[in-house]
Amino acid sequence: MKIVYRIVLTVSLMFAMLGIPKLSPDASVDMERELDAVARIGSVMVDGDICQKIVTQRAKELMFASDPRDEFLAGDNYDVDDVSFNAVKKTLIRLSHLASFPADVNLWMPIEGHPGKIQLVIRNKNEMSQFWNWGELYGDMVPQMETVLKTGRRVTITSKQDWVSVLAPVHNSLGDVVGLIEAVSRARADTHENVK
Amino acid sequence: MIRQFFERIGLEGALMKQAPFLLLLLMVISGQSLLAADLEALPEFLRSDPFGTIVASDRGSADLASSLYGAQHRVMLTGCRGGYASFQVVVKIRPAGLYTLDVTIPDPSNKVQIDLFREWFHFTDSDKHYYPDALIPVRATYSSRLPEPDNRIQQQTAQAFWVDVYIAPDTRPGVLPGRARLKASGKITTLPIQLTVLGCIIPAEDVVTIDHNSYGSSWLAQQFAGSYQRNSDHWFEGDQFLELIHTYHRVFYEHRGIFHQLGYGHSGKVGPEFAPVLEGSGRAKHIVSWSLYDRHYGPLFDGTAFSTCRRGPRPIPFVYLPINPEWPASYEFWDEPGYETEFVNVVSEMERHFREKGWTHTNFEVFFNHKKRYKGFPWDGDEVRFPKDLKYFLEYGRLLKKALPPDTPVHFIFRADVSWNMEQQFKILNGIVRLWCCGGGILSFYRYAPKMLCDRRDLVWYYGGPPSVTESSSAITEFPLRAWLWGVNGYVHWLTVSPGEDPWFHFDGGQTALVYSGERFGLTEPIPSIRLKIQRNCLQDLALLDGLKGRKPLDSLRAEAARSYNNSTLDDWWNPRPALADLPSDQWLGSAIEDAASHTRHALRHPAASAWYNVHQYALSLQAEAK
Repeated sequence: MKIVYRIVLTVSLMFAMLGIPKLSPDASVDMERELDAVARIGSVMVDGDICQKIVTQRAKELMFASDPRDEFLAGDNYDVDDVSFNAVKKTLIRLSHLASFPADVNLWMPIEGHPGKIQLVIRNKNEMSQFWNWGELYGDMVPQMETVLKTGRRVTITSKQDWVSVLAPVHNSLGDVVGLIEAVSRARADTHENVK
Repeated sequence: MIRQFFERIGLEGALMKQAPFLLLLLMVISGQSLLAADLEALPEFLRSDPFGTIVASDRGSADLASSLYGAQHRVMLTGCRGGYASFQVVVKIRPAGLYTLDVTIPDPSNKVQIDLFREWFHFTDSDKHYYPDALIPVRATYSSRLPEPDNRIQQQTAQAFWVDVYIAPDTRPGVLPGRARLKASGKITTLPIQLTVLGCIIPAEDVVTIDHNSYGSSWLAQQFAGSYQRNSDHWFEGDQFLELIHTYHRVFYEHRGIFHQLGYGHSGKVGPEFAPVLEGSGRAKHIVSWSLYDRHYGPLFDGTAFSTCRRGPRPIPFVYLPINPEWPASYEFWDEPGYETEFVNVVSEMERHFREKGWTHTNFEVFFNHKKRYKGFPWDGDEVRFPKDLKYFLEYGRLLKKALPPDTPVHFIFRADVSWNMEQQFKILNGIVRLWCCGGGILSFYRYAPKMLCDRRDLVWYYGGPPSVTESSSAITEFPLRAWLWGVNGYVHWLTVSPGEDPWFHFDGGQTALVYSGERFGLTEPIPSIRLKIQRNCLQDLALLDGLKGRKPLDSLRAEAARSYNNSTLDDWWNPRPALADLPSDQWLGSAIEDAASHTRHALRHPAASAWYNVHQYALSLQAEAK
């Protein structure tokens, strides 16, 4: 019995360390495949030039500003060009319809002059993301995002239990990778999460 | 140690030989005094700590302690009918031991009723002190021991209780005797009580609406984790969950307040219990089920959720609708015919459903809470800073008008929470937005605004947050008082159900909570706080004061209340219009707003614990005059 227990424990630990998703294998594979398809199509459909027009110059300039007497200085000056925002958001919503389950497609963009930082620029109605900490204006770039931005390759991430995200590059007309999309879903939807 | 003691009292030498005997005698004598049990009454505004000392923030008003006592050490209470008179009793026992407390004011007609609450002493990490706030309902006869086992305070020698004396509107005026009695340490201590019921009746309607806001429902599963874990798969659709929501409405209603729960997130995700179920797209989009929505809201809209309340059943006066840029119309179609069709068709269905149900006493709020910094939408629904965002409000105003029959008896109301840009919004959104929820600091620049808005029949609230328990007991009364002095219709505590991760032993002060989960005390409902009780009693007084405006000019009532409160004038409650008010709102700086509000901040800072006591006495004195 002791041996069986040790084997089970070892195998479980190996799975946990490898970050193998905790979904049922079939569901996981299907979900990953569909989200990969969404992300692949998204890479073609999302216009990087328009994405670059979304966050205003003022918002960029003040994103890292702080004032001890003005706690919300950066957030209060966050602004976007609504025409560009709406155009890209509509594309992202339509992309999410390609999945046969509830999914979101979010837009992330690096911040010029701040290597290692990234900002979520557009979220969608299921309020899902593996990487956004609720309320933050920008955050640290995870290594997989850096990989996408540098190589232009898609990356699938399943490290968070129940979650699948596929990151895919967004190009502009110069052929540069200017951002990335996150096609995301989770096996067990939480209907109340982020309703706040 | 013993030798030093005898030397100090001059019994060294021969008597030292008798030391063992004397020591025994001393222990008996001191034991007698240490076994003391005492019962003390305190006014509602003086909070005790677990060692029997008034908390520091109330101590400056400690002379109020004697105000409660009449001749022969009798607790003298006076109250109007249709409301509550409150005080506290403090049990003091040294050393630890068992005790029984009972508080009674016998009334054969049962019109006068006593609610007794044990006060929980919260340890606040910020200043490492204990403050009482959460109120645990207990029976009128309560037996326990000190230190109170669940509060886990070493060396605790005092336990405070909040006493609410409810006086029904049809109570016969007169005097009723009662008593608080403590059994402890083998003796009985009695504190006589005398309740004088005045002829005046506190108006049932409040002069200011006090709203207690919240977001979503996931916090309920956290705060009632035991209940949730027993049925986690279906808890959010179950009767127990919906009943729990109703208990939150009830606790605020019984304390003369209202409760709001916003049902959607910043990107438009709607919690299932906050909206009917939709199906289809474009022309085909429609409501397919009202089931969960009606189970949630039906008893609130027809008032039956309040049938057991002392204030009687009454439909809730306000509710958020789930309408947001992503519901009921999909944002995918924004600015296209499909968006208008989806919005108008579904909102029309909602109006029809509410009308057919007879839900015509509630204001259904169309309210946009999202901010662009949360990345869901490209415009600010809440606290517009950039004037270009107002075009979205105009469009929703148009859509709403198209969706609703002009003669509908259902009250849809467009609400906007405004700060930076409020002055421009008052103009541009005139006739569209009818409920203005204004940032208090910025509204204080525009003294003309409440009257202007009320004259055109708009409703005006302002918002802020509850004071910390570390502030004086009267701090909570500043908000309703300000609303009344300003002539606005209400005040919103922006968050009132979030007491932090460990309110019981590592409290953050409660600036986002006025109620607590009762689950750790075996209750399936929230429990109130001292601050909520003091706020309720303040609202009673404001209703009484305002009720006298037929006899005295309203401005004179307000001026005297302000003077009684903190020796302020009505001017002190406003700030001069600053130069920045004439700049476009997107050029304002947060620090400049703070500077511009410095006059009120200095004039009104830190109301003493006695501040509301003085207003209460003023209100009662006017009742005596009126009689």
